[in-house]
Amino acid sequence: MIRTTILALPFALLAGAATAHTKTEGTTPADGATVAEVEMLHIVFDAPMRVISAALTRDGAEVAIERETGVEPVEAFHAVPAAPLVPGTYRLDWRGMAADGHPMQGGFRFTVSE
Amino acid sequence: MTGLAPIDGLALLAVGAKAAGYAAALLAMGGVLFVAVFRRIADADVLRLARRLAAGAALVGLAVLAARFGIRAARISGMGWDGATDPMMLGFVWQSPLGAAAIWRGLGEAAILAVLLPVAGLWLAIGGTVAVAVSYAQVGHTLGDPRAALAVLLVLHLLAAAFWVGALAPLRRAAGDVDGADLLHRFGIVALGAVAALVAAGTALAWILSGSLPALFGTAYGWTLLGKVAVVTALFGLAALNKLRLVPALAAGDPSAPPALRRSIALEGAAVILILVATATLTTMTTPPVNL
Repeated sequence: MIRTTILALPFALLAGAATAHTKTEGTTPADGATVAEVEMLHIVFDAPMRVISAALTRDGAEVAIERETGVEPVEAFHAVPAAPLVPGTYRLDWRGMAADGHPMQGGFRFTVSE
Repeated sequence: MTGLAPIDGLALLAVGAKAAGYAAALLAMGGVLFVAVFRRIADADVLRLARRLAAGAALVGLAVLAARFGIRAARISGMGWDGATDPMMLGFVWQSPLGAAAIWRGLGEAAILAVLLPVAGLWLAIGGTVAVAVSYAQVGHTLGDPRAALAVLLVLHLLAAAFWVGALAPLRRAAGDVDGADLLHRFGIVALGAVAALVAAGTALAWILSGSLPALFGTAYGWTLLGKVAVVTALFGLAALNKLRLVPALAAGDPSAPPALRRSIALEGAAVILILVATATLTTMTTPPVNL
């Protein structure tokens, strides 16, 4: 069992998205996409999710966002960048809880082109 | 590997706390079941050990339950340890299925403390034992479909496991002298039924949650489950050795039997710890294939 866990560790570290009952069905921008501008940040779940923390970072530095979705369980999470995003590679990481009580986390990355 | 959640310090702590919670719950429930089943044939000091173990485990279980609320709150908060005491995060956990389970488990473990009282206390403690088993059917994968079947199977699986786990320490005490051979022999007979229930319920649960045999290979859930089953198989081997060789040797007055039996039962205890860690990993870090 312990060996299974150790063997599984690298795979777990590679897995960017949360894996439990509630799944992420899609994001805006799409994971890995390159876009010219970002008007909104959007995560769609297949069942209600309580997104508690959501942080946008560019090269590890936090970038301000304004949440339009509170901490109530939702099937779609919305936020907007507080200021237009300058070119660079961004990552949005979130944590929260699924309806069945499972702690959940996930993230996606995108690039804003020159 | 599909169906494995990201591993971080808090997640590992959650696995450890859950395994400790399982151990406490099984020891508390099992101590009560041991007293209920063997109160007429076990020695007074063996029964006293079973009662104290049940009550002590129930107290530890209550503490672990409180700790798990903090760990869960920290995990969902994204603020690390600060989340563990954040009233809003604790409120979210309380509103989740863990809150409902905590009521059943907390009341059940408190009722198990009554095992220290005379006769009427045993009945209260048996009620507590059932409540603790039922609490586990209020959370996690058993909330899926078919809900009723999953709940009944899980409660059966837990009661059978508790009967075995809770009996280990009292039996180890009884194995100290030849007078204990009768108790160990009787346990071996009752345990056959308990193991049959344990295996049947466990297999049915695994079948429902896996969906198919191929789903076991290539998913984190499947590999962890196979690891658990491997240790369970080794545990059954030890139990068979005890029942078929060492207990008859103890009854025959073989002087080498008591230390061998005590060692073998201690080894069973170690196997149980591995099984509980595997189970906590299974229910914390992995997703059953039917939910992928």
